[in-house]
Amino acid sequence: MAEVKSRVNVYSKLTVVSSRPIEPGKTHRLSGLDQSMGLHTLHTIFYYRVNPFPNSDLTNHRASLSEHLSSYPAVTGRLARAEDGEWVVKCNDAGVRTLRAKVVTTIDEWLRSARGSEELDLTAWEDMPDDPSIWSPFRIQINDFEGGGLAIGLSCTHMHADLTSLISLVKSWAELHRGEPISHPPVFHRQLSSNTNTKSTECYAKQSKAEPLPQVKMATATFRFSNSIIKQCLSQIHVTCPGATPFDALAALFWMRILKLKPPGNNHTRKLSICIDFRRRMNPPLPLGYFGNALHFSQLSLNALDGDILGHVAATRLVHLHVAEVREEEIWSTIDWFESNRGQSMPLFRMYGSELTCVSLEHTIDVLGGENGNNDTCQSLMYEVMFKNDERPVHVSCHVGNVEGEGLITILPSSEGGLGRTVMVTLPEEEIDKLCEDEAILGLEPTMIMNGRK
Amino acid sequence: MPTPTVPEFSKSVKLKYVKLGYQYLVNHILTFLLIPVMLSVALQLVHTSPDDLLALWNSLHFNLVHVACSLFLIVYIATFYFLSRPRTIYLVDYACFKPPCSLRVPFAMCLEHARIILSSQPKSVQFQLRILERSGLGEETALPPAIHYLPPEPNMAAAREEAEMVIFSAMDSLLKKTGLKPKDIDILIVNCSLFSPTPSLSAMVVNKYKLRSNIKSFNLAGMGCSAGLISIDLARDLLQVHPNSNAVIVSTEIITPNCYMGNQRSMLLPNCLFRMGGAAILLSNRWSDKRRAKFRLVHVVRTHKGAEDKAYKCVQQEEDPEGHVGISLSINLMAIAAEALKSNITTIGPLVLPASEQLLFLFALLRRKIFKKKTKAYVPDFKQAFEHFCIHAGGRAVIDELQKNLQLSAEHVEASRMTLHRFGNTSSSSLWYEMSYIEAKGRMKRGDRIWQIAFGSGFKCNSAVWKCNRTIKAPIDDGPWVDCIDRYPVYIPDVVKL
Repeated sequence: MAEVKSRVNVYSKLTVVSSRPIEPGKTHRLSGLDQSMGLHTLHTIFYYRVNPFPNSDLTNHRASLSEHLSSYPAVTGRLARAEDGEWVVKCNDAGVRTLRAKVVTTIDEWLRSARGSEELDLTAWEDMPDDPSIWSPFRIQINDFEGGGLAIGLSCTHMHADLTSLISLVKSWAELHRGEPISHPPVFHRQLSSNTNTKSTECYAKQSKAEPLPQVKMATATFRFSNSIIKQCLSQIHVTCPGATPFDALAALFWMRILKLKPPGNNHTRKLSICIDFRRRMNPPLPLGYFGNALHFSQLSLNALDGDILGHVAATRLVHLHVAEVREEEIWSTIDWFESNRGQSMPLFRMYGSELTCVSLEHTIDVLGGENGNNDTCQSLMYEVMFKNDERPVHVSCHVGNVEGEGLITILPSSEGGLGRTVMVTLPEEEIDKLCEDEAILGLEPTMIMNGRK
Repeated sequence: MPTPTVPEFSKSVKLKYVKLGYQYLVNHILTFLLIPVMLSVALQLVHTSPDDLLALWNSLHFNLVHVACSLFLIVYIATFYFLSRPRTIYLVDYACFKPPCSLRVPFAMCLEHARIILSSQPKSVQFQLRILERSGLGEETALPPAIHYLPPEPNMAAAREEAEMVIFSAMDSLLKKTGLKPKDIDILIVNCSLFSPTPSLSAMVVNKYKLRSNIKSFNLAGMGCSAGLISIDLARDLLQVHPNSNAVIVSTEIITPNCYMGNQRSMLLPNCLFRMGGAAILLSNRWSDKRRAKFRLVHVVRTHKGAEDKAYKCVQQEEDPEGHVGISLSINLMAIAAEALKSNITTIGPLVLPASEQLLFLFALLRRKIFKKKTKAYVPDFKQAFEHFCIHAGGRAVIDELQKNLQLSAEHVEASRMTLHRFGNTSSSSLWYEMSYIEAKGRMKRGDRIWQIAFGSGFKCNSAVWKCNRTIKAPIDDGPWVDCIDRYPVYIPDVVKL
């Protein structure tokens, strides 16, 4: 296969530091849950049609970024091994790597024709070397498109932050840049408590002893479902399952369709690992500005026979009940399990992907107006990231690095707002091609973004 | 050079009072001599009667011609005296450049970049680490944007941008503070040692501010860190010739083109110490500026040791064996600096020291020469001549050396140390940051005398003596120290653990 020349040309690299010095000797302790995410990385890309930084000179947004980083000593620090072998962040004020790149196409052309893997060219990443003391765990890449578009790509290790933290970091930066008060100021620590074992911890214990999976090349596709279609779909579902969210409907749909694509296995259960954010499910709730991992993975399983018969509505119901059932004690017990098992040279396992994983970002969407989002203009956290007034991102992508195994489905809010959703699916290459042709999915009239096809 | 040890007995309290008495006597000798004269005249007057006085007055035979001639003579002598005096040079105000916070360079970033760029030369990185640990710099010094890149991009366009940022910012600040209109500037002197493009930086200023076409502009390049005082000296001489004029001096050092990319140890030191900075100063000889001027220039003394080869070669800009251009500092720099300082002190001493110190120096000199005693040279006590000292913040070693040689207390060198900590070595403009520190601390009172000392390549040691014209009240609303003066002075450890 011919090597396609990358359309993204990186031309400069520098380090941005906070504008106020940090007191020496500060460290940021990573929680047990944070440490367990060590294998993965996070990448988000915000696309803007109009470049919100007028000078197109690095110094312009550097000033606001520097000021913003003063509130995040953990972001400008460097990873180091503590005495007990686990990772800790030394807040040594070293800064964040920032790169500048030019893309040879226009933003519309890119959104139409880029491949999923090519999108990662818009973010900067280097794998962590053995000695991470001069390695920046956060990287920002600012990409200029022909004709004036802009993409801001952020990458970080999953140990430092989850998707919500990363989005609220960028949102606060944008608010500072516009001179507005910050709606979700960062919070770095939370209380821990002790609790009992429940079924979630058992599955983690099992997973930690699981064998490594064979390496398969993965590919990503992005589907955008419009507000009206989802509304129509949900109105049918609400007959039997009132309260179902767009996440439930789409997760169930993709799960069922992907199950069909998988090679027929033996009589073992088909599992879906659902990843939800537990900030709002705690009592008292964690603020959205909590900087760190606040994810809870739980498993929904059904055996192979059921999987074939289950219709979309029934599957949606199953997902909905599962998500609603997750209780606070269960969340606490998994947190404790990670805390108690940290630093015991437990090999890190793949949180995403060893089973088909589905990530929900419903918590970032403010439901205004009626319960089922009657107000079509309700917006989500990520689409409120505006560096210039009223200049919303035209698209936001989120990738998780090092996803191996069965695959990952991420259900994100859409630029349209309301009930519209963007679904990013990462699967082994052959399965992605088949999924894009699947009739049930195409029945919902998705817009394919960045499917790499002319 | 070791300090001359004061004999133990003179440390006792009794002798301290003797010393004070001696100083008062010698410094006010004329007053003391005048008192007996006045007493005798008064005694005489008391003894003579009014009639005798009247008779004395009549005997002088004044008539109109005598009176008129005497008057003309007095007026003529007075005019001649006033006209032949050198014009007084006032420093109306000055402004320092405050670098934006986003250009801050913390130690961690410095070291990280060094380790990434010089990954094949760990010894150089270690050396730079050791320098930084002992440098006395803080975490808020700034480097220009081009040096923040990995790898640095020190091209000419970036150097011009840095020059524009620093110089225009300082000039804008000065124009605002003094209310000066650009068209009123008569003399412009810009000094920047290591960056000298064509058209010159002074032409850049003329272009930006649309200065008059008959402006007298000068651009001094290559003269090192003491060029600021050389510019002051030049301005003073020009203002003697041109009546009713003002002069704007811009002192800066442009760091961008001088980022050393090699690994010679003697050339790595400037990389670690030099930082962005600049100052703009307004001097005037107009009588109308006398009221609002902050300082009056009293003396400028320049000493050049370039005739000696060792001094000439001790700071040398050259190419290293790999072709990278850098500034090489020789190992005996401190010794040469001490020599140059001694030379400068010998010249400035008689101009500023009170008579008591000069006599002591003379006695010590005589004792050495005539009696051939092997005692060390007496270092006069300059603390009696000056209230404030601004020592060029060239590095911790320079300040330590001068503190030792001149027997200064920690408070005297506080301005220099804190400027080094907050702004780094900003070359010729560091003296102005130090003045600004003293003002921000509210220590500048009317009548205070300030001594600015700067060293530079060549090897030169230049001094300027200022007298404060009006008390400057703290807190001041602008200036480079406005947001951080409350945190100073800070304790700077000998070695910062990195």
